[in-house]
Amino acid sequence: MEEKELVERLSAGDPAAFRELVEAYKKKMYFFALDMVGDPADAEDISQEVFLKAFRGFRTFKRDARLGSWLCRIAYNTSVDHLRRRPLIPETMEDAVLDSGSDGFRELPPSSDPARTAETRLLGVRVERALQNVSDRERTVFLLRHYNDLRLDEIAEAMQISVGSVKSYLFRCLRKLRKEFSRPGTPRRPLEVSDERL
Amino acid sequence: MKGCKKFRGLIIEALGEKLDPETSSFLEAHIRSCSRCAAEFIGLDEMLKTMDKRMRRDPGREFWDGYWDRLSRRLEMEKAAAEYAPGSPRKWLGRLAGGTRRWAYQAGAAVVLIAAGIIIGRAVFSPRPLPIEAIRPAGEAPEGQTAATDPILRARSYVDRSKLVLLALVNYVPPAVDPHALDLSLEKQVSRELVRQAGGLKSDLKGPARRRLRELVTDLETVLLQISNLEPPDDFEAVEFVKQGVESRGIFLKINLSEMGGDLSFSGREPAPEKAPSQKIKT
Repeated sequence: MEEKELVERLSAGDPAAFRELVEAYKKKMYFFALDMVGDPADAEDISQEVFLKAFRGFRTFKRDARLGSWLCRIAYNTSVDHLRRRPLIPETMEDAVLDSGSDGFRELPPSSDPARTAETRLLGVRVERALQNVSDRERTVFLLRHYNDLRLDEIAEAMQISVGSVKSYLFRCLRKLRKEFSRPGTPRRPLEVSDERL
Repeated sequence: MKGCKKFRGLIIEALGEKLDPETSSFLEAHIRSCSRCAAEFIGLDEMLKTMDKRMRRDPGREFWDGYWDRLSRRLEMEKAAAEYAPGSPRKWLGRLAGGTRRWAYQAGAAVVLIAAGIIIGRAVFSPRPLPIEAIRPAGEAPEGQTAATDPILRARSYVDRSKLVLLALVNYVPPAVDPHALDLSLEKQVSRELVRQAGGLKSDLKGPARRRLRELVTDLETVLLQISNLEPPDDFEAVEFVKQGVESRGIFLKINLSEMGGDLSFSGREPAPEKAPSQKIKT
């Protein structure tokens, strides 16, 4: 369905259009919130809050904007509010990956090769660790850019910073990530002995 | 190498989205001529491809299937909450309708509670009916009994009459009164009559509970005997002697105590016996 048509129906107050919006963006919103806060229950709560805010405030949506970027902006603000209210340091995604069993990777295609499965899992651990080694703003910019396909100007609008700052954060983040991947990695946990295979 | 910094922004843009043809060819020309920027671009591109392999914990199909239901339930709850939020017209209507019912229930409950309280109060806390003797005015003889037969009534009459005689005598002031005008014949006559009644009355006032009344009658008898024996011309000195006797015996105080203590009011039965004096333990 064309996004423009969906926007028109949403503007007209079509309830079915709202459900279509939710079905189209629920995974993106959930995973973005999960990246931001690290807790699955909080992530669902935040993602639902995003849709509720969108439902209540759709009149503020600019017709020339993209629905995805608008929702990401709401998700970013909601996640930041949530993190401000939460006093404890959240469990990092790395911890979540390390602590999870095989069920934690349902997105992975079923493989009969245990070595490949283990390799993929370790790659996931390393990616999460790399993301934890960048600053919050750098990580947020990267998440919005790479996993949510927002343009630089859309990220700038969402985070209330300039496009130049977005580029700067993004470039620093990419360099740190590349540096993290290019070196063997200093083991921080017993599991990391096999990181060199990557 | 020179001017590579300005291509960083273009590299960042090129890694995430498609550049316009002119900008794209401009960046390609630089990368071909600059090994450092070329290495940077290739390195970042490879790193992003690695990041693309990132697999996040998926909550599962059941989670996604029920996502809309949970969201719609939350939406309904928010709607309901908004309808009854402060300032909402429906809230006021609901409060009016529901509130009236609630008010009626509360009023009904209050009435039931009050009625139950009255019934319980009447059944449990109401005073017991007093015996007929208790509500009878003091001094009034019960049925079948007359003033002539009841010792308390007789004692009361005796004390009242004695009191009058004593008051007449005590209030007498010799210097203010003409000695020739002093006439105590009536007081002496009444006193003699009362002295005669005293013996029978004391014998009727039996029991330890009437000891005080019996003693009062005895004291009155003594004073009244003095009054009945007054003889002229020594009346004035004798009157003073009687007055001192009344004061030293505390006759009026005893009369007042008997009246206040209920010794002279009819109870219909024997007053509670006084405690016997405690005996000393011999050691």
